[in-house]
Amino acid sequence: MHEAIVIGAGLSGLMGALALAEAGLRPLVLAKGHGATHWASGTIDLWGKDERSPRDALRSIVTARPEHPYALIGVDAVADALARFRAVTEAARYPYVGGMDHSVLLPTAAGALRPVALLPITMAAGDVRAGGEMVIAGFHELRDFYPPLAAANLAAQGIAARGVYLQLPPVPRVRDFGPRTLAQLFDDPAFRKQIGRQLRQQRGSATRIGLPAVLGVRDPLGVVADLQLLSGAQVFEIPTLPPSVPGIRLFNVLRAAIERSGGRLQIGSEVIRAEGVGHILTTLCSEAAAREQQHRVRRVLLATGGIAGGGIRTNDAGLVRETALDLPVRMDVNHAGWFAPRFLDPGGHAIYAAGVAADDRLRPLGVDGWPVYENVAVAGATLAGADTLRERSRTGVAIATGWAAGRMLAAYGCDATRSY
Amino acid sequence: MGVMPHDHIELSLEQSLDHCIKCNICTAACPVSAVTDLFPGPKYVGPQAQRFRHERQPAPDESVDYCSGCRVCNEVCPTGVKIAELNARARARLVAERGIPLRNRLISRSEVLGRLGAGPQAPLANLALGFGPLRLALERVLGIARAAPLPKFSRYTFRSWFRRRSAPMANSGPRRQVVYFHGCATNYYEPWVGRAAVAVLEHNGCEVIIAPQRCCGLPLLSNGDFAAARRAHEANVAYLAPYALRGVPIIGTSTSCTLTLKEEAPELLGMRSAMVRTVAEQTFDIFEYLRMMYECGELRADFRPIERTLPYHPPCQLRAHRIGRPALDILELVPGLRLVESHADCCGIAGTYGLKREKYQIGMDVGAPLFETIRRSGSDLAVCDSETCRWQITHGAGVAARHPIEILAKAYGLVI
Ligand SMILES: Cc1cc2nc3c(=O)[nH]c(=O)nc-3n(C[C@H](O)[C@H](O)[C@H](O)COP(=O)(O)OP(=O)(O)OC[C@H]3O[C@@H](n4cnc5c(N)ncnc54)[C@H](O)[C@@H]3O)c2cc1C
Repeated sequence: MHEAIVIGAGLSGLMGALALAEAGLRPLVLAKGHGATHWASGTIDLWGKDERSPRDALRSIVTARPEHPYALIGVDAVADALARFRAVTEAARYPYVGGMDHSVLLPTAAGALRPVALLPITMAAGDVRAGGEMVIAGFHELRDFYPPLAAANLAAQGIAARGVYLQLPPVPRVRDFGPRTLAQLFDDPAFRKQIGRQLRQQRGSATRIGLPAVLGVRDPLGVVADLQLLSGAQVFEIPTLPPSVPGIRLFNVLRAAIERSGGRLQIGSEVIRAEGVGHILTTLCSEAAAREQQHRVRRVLLATGGIAGGGIRTNDAGLVRETALDLPVRMDVNHAGWFAPRFLDPGGHAIYAAGVAADDRLRPLGVDGWPVYENVAVAGATLAGADTLRERSRTGVAIATGWAAGRMLAAYGCDATRSY
Repeated sequence: MGVMPHDHIELSLEQSLDHCIKCNICTAACPVSAVTDLFPGPKYVGPQAQRFRHERQPAPDESVDYCSGCRVCNEVCPTGVKIAELNARARARLVAERGIPLRNRLISRSEVLGRLGAGPQAPLANLALGFGPLRLALERVLGIARAAPLPKFSRYTFRSWFRRRSAPMANSGPRRQVVYFHGCATNYYEPWVGRAAVAVLEHNGCEVIIAPQRCCGLPLLSNGDFAAARRAHEANVAYLAPYALRGVPIIGTSTSCTLTLKEEAPELLGMRSAMVRTVAEQTFDIFEYLRMMYECGELRADFRPIERTLPYHPPCQLRAHRIGRPALDILELVPGLRLVESHADCCGIAGTYGLKREKYQIGMDVGAPLFETIRRSGSDLAVCDSETCRWQITHGAGVAARHPIEILAKAYGLVI
């Protein structure tokens, strides 16, 4: 019998598992595969739909949109999650900076600007509002990162920037310079010494240098420090296309923290079914070789990532379903209305708001408005009530609801709320 | 030329191509493409190259032969693409087109090798295989890497031990019957693993049956010899089905043999009879089975404390069962014992992969992070469920490597 099982190993599942582990419940994380950590930028985006600070935006959501995930848990719970997240990443020597008071504008690989609330310190010098001429540096060998393009787009927005290509020092590899291969190379001090020297030559009058986010997997702080010393400029990372090295680091940090507190991860196991007695979920079944694996369980956190994560599926008959527990999905528009005619429609696509409705303890609600299960909580992109893509709040909602759900589930079935 | 049958697995593989969103998560996780350019990564040789593979057309690309079959890609894929199966079948087609090199024929026949070397002649065979000039010759002539970790033959086979031992004292009460699938490694190289398994099972009230059995066929599958693998699996199903049909579980200590019985053989070979399915459904990794007994309150807990912290490597073939870490679940019941999971993707040997001259160094490079983790742990003993991985760990990290069942037998204080 498991005290707690978390379904999904994205940010929401990992934060939830951390909360459950720290409460002493030794959670098991079951996930079909890696989550959006390995795809996304590695930043935590709380709010980016308009100019308001995340704190102001969240405060108004709480009153104006009671079904929004932020409103379900409240602003204090969001702050709580951010605080724990920062403490964990800092303890792992991969600190995040920022918070709810304002968003930082970071350049993307295309030279667009992206509002971010919390960012790994390796990206901090990229804050465009901080001023100072930029050099964007990259490698011909790295696909999908074009320094001249990024620099030109930044310059068009009034940010002094110049794009340069670096010479890849002779390395044993000749093919496939994806982000991971480059990050492995940066783990080697001799490699970054050569890059640092080139940066010094190319720097000109710039005070900061942006590089693709491949500055090492193991010790990014050490890599950035070395490069800054050698180049004489501030160095910052710009997220690449997937796979995301910052996301891989973050996954590693959270996994280690969960395991240190007694939790365990089982990646490659899709949950396909659940059984319950009345309003209590009792058993989960995951796909395995030759037969299902059954898990008897006391508490379940569903963090399956919604449509992008595989937690919600549609079919061409117009059916929308939740994949793990078969919970009812809230989707107000019928098949024909799922998509706007244009891919980048400013109004977004209705289907992305599909999700599982929840109460203020994040328990999944049935069509009758009552919790389907007492001992289940839902977190992250599987929750209904927000178009987090357009709000630019996906990772913010993921870690805040993940942490809150984990904390509330930990208290489930206990007379007094546990403290840690 | 063997043309792949169009079956439901083929169909699901084809459909899974469309699930690939080209996110490269598998490429980033692949332990082989991390260390060599010879393998461009699971995404390229799997879902991408698959689009260019057509019956009656030559294979578009040979690099799939550098896939080690570790299945890390399957494990991490966010959208559930069956990359490893695509690769295994693609390799089999390559083999069907070009034939199997003598070397691969040889090293994939673990039974034949075992019968040649194990027994009273073992010391001689071991001496020969430890003899540098002979290994050099084997490398030059056959392509078996000179430095590769070949196991030592045992002076006696597990089966001969089992036949000769005095029957256990019957406990009172009904005993549950289990079939033990020892596999080639236990029979010919490490009979003590099987002895530990028998001891632990009997200690927990099981009557252990050693049914006739053949090599599970995994080395044949991973060398693309599907025809021989099919013969092996047909034979095993014939031997085991009578038990499986009666509900007698088939329990193995080799995570690769059990995976092959459960899934690899039926899926890759497209064998779908009810008997094949029943055998698959009745097959268990030994710790998976012990964990079920524990969950039902039927596992004895008379453990002696073992005050040790040991590095544990869950082998790829165990992870491919998708059953978690059953050995950890059980061994953490032993007072004082702590196992620390490696998180290394693969030890690099991947069955017979790391034995091959052209792949030996790749295997060692793949295993390097694991070897480093084990060395840094300071322990002189590592724990791992798979035999070839244990040999590779000892070779690469220079420490002894044991099957977790040996540790459990010790915790029970069983003499084996
Ligand atoms: C390319 C890309 C870039 C992005 N960039 C940003 C960004 O810059 N900023 C931002 O805020 N957000 C970004 N996002 C979105 C954001 O990262 C995620 O949407 C958010 O983190 C959601 O986290 P989650 O934990 O809810 O789900 P996910 O991270 O999607 O995790 C879902 C998990 O559930 C598992 N799962 C699903 N179904 C099952 C099942 N039945 N059984 C078992 N496991 C299951 C999956 O395998 C996975 O482990 C990006 C997304 C993508 C794809």
